[in-house]
Amino acid sequence: MAGCVGLSAALCQEGVSVVQVLLFSLFNGLLYGMLLFMLSSGLTLIFSMMGVLNFAHASFFMLGAYFAYEISRLIGFWPALFFAPLGAAVIGAVIERYGLRTVHKFGHVAELLFTFGLAFVIEELVQMIWGKTNKPYLIPSSMDFTLFTWQGLDYSAYRVFMLLTSVGIFVALYWLLTRTRVGLIIQAALSHPQMVGALGHNVPRIFMYTFGFGCGLAAIGGVLGGNVLGTEPAMAIQLGPIVFVVIVIGGLGSLGGALIASIFIGILTNAAVSYDVPFGPFFALFGVSSATDIGNDLVRMTSGSVSSVLPYLIMVLMLILRPRGLFGNRDV
Amino acid sequence: MSMKGLLNNYGVWMVAALIILLVPIPFGSGFALSIASQMTIAIVFALAYNMLLGQGGMLSFGHAIFFGLAGYFTIHYLNWMGQGVVSYFPVSLLPLLGGLVSMVLGVLIGLVSTRRAGTTFAMISLGFGEMVTALTLIIVSFFNGEEGIQGDRWVGPEPLGITFGSDVQVYYLAGAWCFAAAVAMYAITRTPFGRMCNAVRDNPERAQFVGYNTQRVRWLAFTLSAFFSGIAGTLHALVFEHVGFETVDIARSGFVLFMVYIGGTGTFLGPVLGAVLITWLTSILSNFTEAWYLYFGIIFVTIVMYAPGGLAGLIFMHEPIWLTDPRLLRRLLWPYALGLASVLVALVGIIGEMEMIYHLSNDITGEFVMNLYGFDISLRNTVPWVICAIIGAIGLALCRKSFPLVAQHWHQVMHEARERVLQ
Amino acid sequence: MNTSYLRKLLLGTLLGGLSVLPAYAAEPVRLGLIEPFSGPIASIGLETLDNFNFAVEAVNKRGGVLGGRMIEMVPLDNAMNAEKSTQQVKKAIDMGIRVVVQGVGSSNAINIIEYVNKHNKRNPDQTVLYLNHAAVTTEFTNELCSFWHFRFDANVDMKVAALATQMGRDPKVKNVYLINQNYAFGKSTQEASNKYLAERAKHIKIVGDDLIVPFGKVQDFTPYVAKIKGANADTVLTGNWGPDIIRLVKAVASAGLNVQFYTLYGGLPTTVNAVGTEDGMAVHMKQVTEQLVEDDDRKDLQPYFESYLDKFKRTWYSDRIRFTVEMFAKAIDKAGKEDPEAIARALEGMTFPGPHGQTMVMRPDDHQIQLPMVISEMSRDVPKRFIYEGKDLGIGWKTMNWVSREDLTLPTTCKMERP
Repeated sequence: MAGCVGLSAALCQEGVSVVQVLLFSLFNGLLYGMLLFMLSSGLTLIFSMMGVLNFAHASFFMLGAYFAYEISRLIGFWPALFFAPLGAAVIGAVIERYGLRTVHKFGHVAELLFTFGLAFVIEELVQMIWGKTNKPYLIPSSMDFTLFTWQGLDYSAYRVFMLLTSVGIFVALYWLLTRTRVGLIIQAALSHPQMVGALGHNVPRIFMYTFGFGCGLAAIGGVLGGNVLGTEPAMAIQLGPIVFVVIVIGGLGSLGGALIASIFIGILTNAAVSYDVPFGPFFALFGVSSATDIGNDLVRMTSGSVSSVLPYLIMVLMLILRPRGLFGNRDV
Repeated sequence: MSMKGLLNNYGVWMVAALIILLVPIPFGSGFALSIASQMTIAIVFALAYNMLLGQGGMLSFGHAIFFGLAGYFTIHYLNWMGQGVVSYFPVSLLPLLGGLVSMVLGVLIGLVSTRRAGTTFAMISLGFGEMVTALTLIIVSFFNGEEGIQGDRWVGPEPLGITFGSDVQVYYLAGAWCFAAAVAMYAITRTPFGRMCNAVRDNPERAQFVGYNTQRVRWLAFTLSAFFSGIAGTLHALVFEHVGFETVDIARSGFVLFMVYIGGTGTFLGPVLGAVLITWLTSILSNFTEAWYLYFGIIFVTIVMYAPGGLAGLIFMHEPIWLTDPRLLRRLLWPYALGLASVLVALVGIIGEMEMIYHLSNDITGEFVMNLYGFDISLRNTVPWVICAIIGAIGLALCRKSFPLVAQHWHQVMHEARERVLQ
Repeated sequence: MNTSYLRKLLLGTLLGGLSVLPAYAAEPVRLGLIEPFSGPIASIGLETLDNFNFAVEAVNKRGGVLGGRMIEMVPLDNAMNAEKSTQQVKKAIDMGIRVVVQGVGSSNAINIIEYVNKHNKRNPDQTVLYLNHAAVTTEFTNELCSFWHFRFDANVDMKVAALATQMGRDPKVKNVYLINQNYAFGKSTQEASNKYLAERAKHIKIVGDDLIVPFGKVQDFTPYVAKIKGANADTVLTGNWGPDIIRLVKAVASAGLNVQFYTLYGGLPTTVNAVGTEDGMAVHMKQVTEQLVEDDDRKDLQPYFESYLDKFKRTWYSDRIRFTVEMFAKAIDKAGKEDPEAIARALEGMTFPGPHGQTMVMRPDDHQIQLPMVISEMSRDVPKRFIYEGKDLGIGWKTMNWVSREDLTLPTTCKMERP
């Protein structure tokens, strides 16, 4: 069938329109994107407050998953959804108080290095405590049923619950930052720390709470995502860089930007696979032919086979062309 | 003699050359020689990386791409020579060629990545690192995925009958290039360009105001660093006759960052120290403990927190003292010994506990028997846990007593040194 | 004790805590086991070491080899790194070890093959033998074949051919979807799948053929699930391993697709443990292995499997480790001396009783073992359930069918150079 590629090829045969494929990619992209948002919201909050790009952010996502695994084995999933992020938040706050604060005076590069080393240490500590193999952290059976079926795929109640939770987080954060006194202080501490200090607020303590809170948000992502993606020591390093990409594209320090970018990356990686656009014609423009071995590798490349690399490409282009990201109010 | 005076003195370089020359005599075994070769490569790479981080203030999470891509080029070039596709080029000069390849890449990537320093640069380097790593897996015909590609460095008639068939010969090749590259990189720090780099690192606005094009300075530093990284990558390919995707991936970029930072970014000797020490540790620590990555991470974080100058920084902290009167150092000896001893006692206890936890969670046999410090112990028994805890507690208590002592003596000696200088 | 020995002892301690000991009569025959014992996948290396020690113990209990010498495994950590693998071969040679064993990771394997080739050419009086128990790249016994390398595991082509043979026997399999990892191993699985499905399962149509970015980079498999559904596939054939299969299976199961999975590595205990048996059963997980412990024809080995289960609290999964050690022991006794070349010649063409009443043969042309394979399916209805980490997983593996040795004897392009 001419003009049909990838998923559309299969669906064309069933008479499904391209619009439907698009809708389908959009919906699945949204589901995945909102998981990314749970991580990127905490990261962007920490960055906008403290100017620290927390390399270890995904490590708190991992801690959330492991804590949830242990707690849900003992007393169930719902307590885990509360206590696991709380535990990660406390650990985050302690690390800020006794680690990051010490490094703060050496500048941003030292802070970045500290969190880089921290990510390494947390991964090793997780291996030390839970071992190196996967942990069977599974979706709670109370939500492991099909809620609805669309285009032949079942969507479990759990996935919808994840979506609703992250939407809830966005709304709550937005309200917190723009409509409450705490939010006002936080925003003020960001732009005028001395002034806020002079007004009698303890700025370092605000930083500590913010860092802990951000880590807790990441851990919520871990509680909800650990049973979908698999709970293992490498989960942080696999997800970490992509979260960075999200907040850089969205614009550092912009909550709305993080939301849009998360959904964008989610939809992009989905659509890249669904449409599976061949790159052959693109490389042909530059005279690459399949006659040589390398040419053959390039011509056979499709958007699906490189989908998870595309976000990095976009990040680099974004940093070169518009370093403040989509919605950022200042440069990276 | 001051740090700079030290390195300007030809004697130091001659000692370095002598060490490189003499290593194969006692360390003749194949394994030891390969560690020694690896050290020389690590030194070149670490120094090149420090041109970015230490001198230019640019933190890169993807510098291994210049190391690895030069390696891929080298192996392909060796194979092409073997097949007669390209004309013969002396193997001993291949590092130059590999360096130039990386330099060209450095010019291209640097053009877009060095426009800004700081976090932007770090993020772009991360992006490039991830993309190149993915490409090495995807473009199989050139990179051959995780298996990588193999070559034979014994391809042609080398002058004086040197074929690089034996490990000793290739060690000397690496050693000679290491020496030459180190001299060249040191010379660069002494040029006006080297000073310009530092100015751009410390205060870009002012540097720009004075009339320097900060972006061009960073770009040049980046390109030069890529060149020397390429030399290191070529040597790596020649020593192992293999290159795979692990030469370009983020783990290697992270590792060179560890080396440089632990050694010390502020001085020329720091990266050398870090490279030698870390290479040695990685080759031996894994014989004793499975948890060595963890100790590594902890050492790194500790240094970032408490000794941002790295090990070399700690050593050169004493520079004012020995410039004034080296005899003053003797007064620091016993407080240092005391402090070190308490740290060691604490470490014995803490590491013991950590090793036991590690074994407990990774023991799939369920027997929970292990060997700790030469003792066969059962983890079901509480005695080893208690003993380690007690040792650790004693150590920490000793630290609390001895650290103020060290600080006190340090201040006294520094004070006296200052007094003497002022007199 | 002369000075050179002292020097070596001192340097050995400095550079690795190992010393070179002089040879004496009852010295054990040492095998250097080069695997990841540290780093993220150390658990695989450590499990391999346990299995080798267990297999070696059985030989030693019978009185060892060469009239009373014990076999000893010497673990050498490569941290899953190709260069470190080469270094560990050098270290093994320094220690006087003449046989190295390795299997985890093709990149490590190719480096050992190449290094051993070069070393043996350059040092003909100090040769080294390499026994490969799990690195499956087909080329190792084709273009890259070496006299010094022996493979005791089926290669990619054999494993895929076995799966394709079984799929050809199953009339229910009509539309197959291929998903593989976008790197050397995944691509060769993809090629082999296309080739052997065309040859051995003519009624089957390949309705999808995807490569994914490997090693856990893909977080969300939903779009692939959608494509599988859209293509009307009833079967998925995949070489994915690690997170790439765990997430795929979880995504397919949670979307409620009714497909069955034919896999190369979906049955690894760590994978089954992480996927969960619910999801594993939902996708009708199938695997290809060299044997199954619960099969009747393995009765003579039951005590061996039982004592392994007692000791390590997990079901014996990799029989090839047992016959690697057994065949080596047989070969060194036949050679009569600890000499790599003599052992290699003894191994060439050696036969060994295999599963399903068949004989295994170490083919002399390419040093690839020829053996039957079993295709099995995850099931709750099995006499012996799978135990892992002391835990009953609640499922076991049920034999679907055997593919005979003859059916898996594939042509080789190897042109063996013998010393």
